[in-house]
Amino acid sequence: MTVDTEVTTTVPPKVPAERRPTGSSGFGRVVRQILLWIPLVILMLWTLVPFFITVMISLKTRGEVFGSTSALPNDPSLAAYREVIERPGFRGAFVNSVLVGLGTTILTVALATPAAYAFARFNFRGRHLLLLFTLIPRLVPSLGLMIPLYQLAVTLGALDKRLTLVVVYSGMLVPLAVWLLVGFIQQIPPSLEEAASVDGASMWKRMRYIVLPISLPALITIGVLSFREAWNEFTLVLVLTTTPGKRTLPYELYLMQGIQGIENYPAEAAFTVLTILPFILVYARIEKYIVAGITTGSVK
Amino acid sequence: MSVLSSDRIRRAAWRRRRRRRREPGGGGRWDTGLAGQSKLAPYLFSTPAIIMVSLLLAYPVIYGLYKSFYRADFFGGPEEFVGFENYSEMFHDPAFWDALTKSAIFVTGCVVVGLVLGLFFAFALNRVVSQLRFLRSVTIAPYIISNVAAAVMFRLLFNSDFGLLNRTIEFFGFDGPSWLADPNLAMGVVIFCQVWTDLPLTILLLLAGLQTIDTSYIDAAKVDGATGWKRAWHLSMPLISPQIVISVVWMSYSTLTGLGVVLALTGGGPLKATQTMPMEMYSTAFTDLEMNQALAIASFILILNAILTLLYVGLARRYGTVE
Repeated sequence: MTVDTEVTTTVPPKVPAERRPTGSSGFGRVVRQILLWIPLVILMLWTLVPFFITVMISLKTRGEVFGSTSALPNDPSLAAYREVIERPGFRGAFVNSVLVGLGTTILTVALATPAAYAFARFNFRGRHLLLLFTLIPRLVPSLGLMIPLYQLAVTLGALDKRLTLVVVYSGMLVPLAVWLLVGFIQQIPPSLEEAASVDGASMWKRMRYIVLPISLPALITIGVLSFREAWNEFTLVLVLTTTPGKRTLPYELYLMQGIQGIENYPAEAAFTVLTILPFILVYARIEKYIVAGITTGSVK
Repeated sequence: MSVLSSDRIRRAAWRRRRRRRREPGGGGRWDTGLAGQSKLAPYLFSTPAIIMVSLLLAYPVIYGLYKSFYRADFFGGPEEFVGFENYSEMFHDPAFWDALTKSAIFVTGCVVVGLVLGLFFAFALNRVVSQLRFLRSVTIAPYIISNVAAAVMFRLLFNSDFGLLNRTIEFFGFDGPSWLADPNLAMGVVIFCQVWTDLPLTILLLLAGLQTIDTSYIDAAKVDGATGWKRAWHLSMPLISPQIVISVVWMSYSTLTGLGVVLALTGGGPLKATQTMPMEMYSTAFTDLEMNQALAIASFILILNAILTLLYVGLARRYGTVE
């Protein structure tokens, strides 16, 4: 940017940008390119260094973490990973996370799809409730739900149940999912369905063969966002589970920091990597859906 | 008077236009549905979702507000109505004001740092649109991981014995501070970590704004001899002001109500230096076991948050960027 500044000021206006003489031709351009990339290198470092350090520590031994000044492990070993995987807390939490994640995804999509279809396609009394769906999630952060949901779960005997987590997470995600889907379904021309209707297709057939296939990208976005939320959620699982076997990964990771007298840093790091990795792998495959969902979805 | 009313009429007409635009084809909605279709269908379709949202989001909050007017002598004991007593006690509690101050520092710090970095990186990314896919997918990484995982990574990064930061400081021959044990520095680390997890969304939002700017504006400014910084400040910044507003309000929402990062990183310590309001609520409820008192704090946070949300909706409407 700075080089750009100098160049432009020395040149008389009205010269098209491309034909501007760029300093001493080749050299100036190289400097410009470098200056252009510096912020991006900083961005990559900013983003990736914490991940990198965590992975490196997870490959070290406990002694090496304190002893060696090098960031890289001398003798990379997977001992910490083996230790974490053999720990019953991890395995139980991993299974819980997967089950709660899948359950939340299925329930959210199952509830949101018909509701979105109704809001997008029908003029019925109560369709103004859609506006409520856009406001409620912002008026009700999970922080405000912690204590009431805990008390209700105690009263209903619903503590420590995976199903409770699934239902609660779906409830939190349905408004967002409906909102995303309504926008998507509205863009499908109603004439498609009208034509199918003339040919005798029932509403179910139209949904099955027209609406659902076309909205598949939106459904995937919703599914992935639901899974992410269930996989990462911490504040509610913190109050809705009390016994060891019922926790999900973030809660177990949170507890891991405190329970040992001397902290086992490689194991902590390995636990973190194993918590992050599954979703990163999912994410790498369907990145475009997630970015679209996050930018239009979470802020609204 | 006449100016005012004409202005109002113009604004109403504009709003009507917007509404029409948002609903293509006169709404694209069917009044009666197509042939052979029950009129009940939309009700049947939307009821489960509406019930779910009412039971799991609306009801608990109302229940919490209601219970904040009650009090039990001991945990789990019978509750009696005490009116605003929980609130008056809250406002007389120095710990509450302390937490409010901490939250103010936390929210302000996160928003300022987040916005500055967000703008910097968004402008940087905007100049290399061709390589955007890869950079963007890496950039989003901190946002898609768990808050707890981020907090653990930052504990490793800021560890006073072997953390990367202190190793670097030692390399230059100095002794690094114990970041998370020092009351003054701990808040900085918490802000840093929170910004790290929230920044991707801010960048994406601001970047989306920058990419909608018509390049002819930029070219015109170039022809007029505006330098890079001037173009950014006088041209791009005003044009993306809606996105800036949205980012600021979103970040304040996320930090005002955020518990995960603080709890997992410092747990409110050292010496309550990072005891923000969500932490205060959490420890009142689950350490002191004063549920009703904690509900008063929760209600206070929710009301603050509601004010923020209305502000957000109002601003976003005005700028016409509600998506």
